[in-house]
Amino acid sequence: MVVDDHPMWRDGVARDLAEAGYEVVATVGEGRQAIRVAAAARPELVVLDLQLPDLSGVEVARRLAASDPPPRVLVLSASGEQDDVLEAVKAGASGYLLKSASKEDFLEAVRRTAGGDAVFTPGLAGLVLGEYRRLASQPAPADGPRLTERETEVLRLVAKGLSYKQIAERLVLSHRTVQNHVQNTLNKLQLHNRVELVRYAIEQGLDDS
Amino acid sequence: MTGIEGSFWRTVAVFRAASLAYAAILLVRAGGYANPAVGWLVIGVMALWTAATIFAYSVEEFRGRPLLAADMLVTLGCLLATPAVQGVHQESSLPITATWMGGAVLAWGVYGGRRLGALAAAIVSLADLWTRGAGGMEFEKLPINGTVLLFLAGVLVGHVARLAGKAEARMQEAVELEAAGRERERLARGIHDSVLQVLALVQRRGQEAGGEAAELGRLAGEQEAALRELVRLRPEAPPAGAVDLRVLLQGYGSGTVTVSVPATPLTLPAGTAGELAAAVGAALDNVARHCGAQAPAWVFAESDGGMVTVTVRDEGPGIPEGRLEEAAAAGRLGVAQSIRGRVEDLGGTVAVISAPGRGTEIEMSVPA
Repeated sequence: MVVDDHPMWRDGVARDLAEAGYEVVATVGEGRQAIRVAAAARPELVVLDLQLPDLSGVEVARRLAASDPPPRVLVLSASGEQDDVLEAVKAGASGYLLKSASKEDFLEAVRRTAGGDAVFTPGLAGLVLGEYRRLASQPAPADGPRLTERETEVLRLVAKGLSYKQIAERLVLSHRTVQNHVQNTLNKLQLHNRVELVRYAIEQGLDDS
Repeated sequence: MTGIEGSFWRTVAVFRAASLAYAAILLVRAGGYANPAVGWLVIGVMALWTAATIFAYSVEEFRGRPLLAADMLVTLGCLLATPAVQGVHQESSLPITATWMGGAVLAWGVYGGRRLGALAAAIVSLADLWTRGAGGMEFEKLPINGTVLLFLAGVLVGHVARLAGKAEARMQEAVELEAAGRERERLARGIHDSVLQVLALVQRRGQEAGGEAAELGRLAGEQEAALRELVRLRPEAPPAGAVDLRVLLQGYGSGTVTVSVPATPLTLPAGTAGELAAAVGAALDNVARHCGAQAPAWVFAESDGGMVTVTVRDEGPGIPEGRLEEAAAAGRLGVAQSIRGRVEDLGGTVAVISAPGRGTEIEMSVPA
């Protein structure tokens, strides 16, 4: 499923996906419509633009993550707005690609997202690393997620533009281990985000409504 | 007549009219003083001048030094007629003009601020005291209440008029800024929804088509990155004298240069951020020179433990071991050395990680 408010993009992305052998079950231009259609069409993967006319892309990512079963979400953004991308990823999106990425990069990202892997561009690694450091610099609560030294090392190398293969060579690890480290950093962050949401809900007394 | 200055002039007009009525009442109550005919003549002149000034001060082109001078002369003329009307001056009585003579002082204050207000108060007071002196009063017994009140009125009104004018100008500026901000936001949304999308699409399709189209696509991509940077909304302005390093670094982003930054601002003093960004620029120029203009490069900025670190990485041929030292020993300062100089001047450190065939990383750290 493709969610983007710009018709030219939407159709272009859908065509690329169809040519690469994917079945595009729906193309949608608005956030609320995307939630409704996703509930009916049950896509495995949603390619999501963050700038939508009605709901924010972050909110769409959050609601999609709450559906059962949740589709995998690949954020495709021309905005370069770091805050939104980070929020969308924390809300459950498993990858982020700039719209200026080439068709090959895009299809590779779709393939990996569909396969359940996190798609870490250097930009996303920089955001995630920054978020961990922001959490670490806050005094309380102390139970926030922490990165292991190895995870920090791997994330920094991703942010510097090294491929997983290059990282594996440099750190003398297997490709799969590098992939796992990256995946872990994202999982911990998303889990923390869910815990925070639940905590917030309980504090606000929303749990029994 | 609009704005805050207009209200001041209207207030002065009300003061003049009310004071004119007060002067007339005093004249009636005193039974016309010693010389009623001259007294009513003076009141008539005052009435005409009141009407004239109410009109003249309300027109912006008339407001100016000639009008202020004429205002003062007419006021002094009426005031100096006092001995002719009242005969021997009473110690506690008001002159024939009564409080009306304050009108000119207020006008000078509103027009020229507290200095001009004080000057007008001095002129009118001197004339007032002279009429009393001419009436035969001794210097020590001259009443100075009127003088003090005139000074207070002139200085205070002048000061307040100036303050109000400045406040209004500031307000106007703020309103204009806000309007400009809103307009920018609207433009940014519009550009984002249309131009950026098309540029990104051209870039992508161009790359696929290859050949000349690929070059077009590359150019479209560069414009997309530049335009996106231009219309980016920055809700949190950093404190004065400080700069968000991310904003400077993102200017380097292009089809070949990937810039990775955190979601939170990297705030540095403006000078430090500028030097660091210039060092990054020099490193990127170096990549383009040694690895070709189309060689990919990555810029990664992070903040940890009070240090801000920026890494510039390329996948070029790399620098053979010892090469930097050789260059330095031969008295040639390579680019890496000049970068090192810049960053060390900021109290920071530079690490160069490189091996033949594995690209080069230049890591610059400065204290935040």
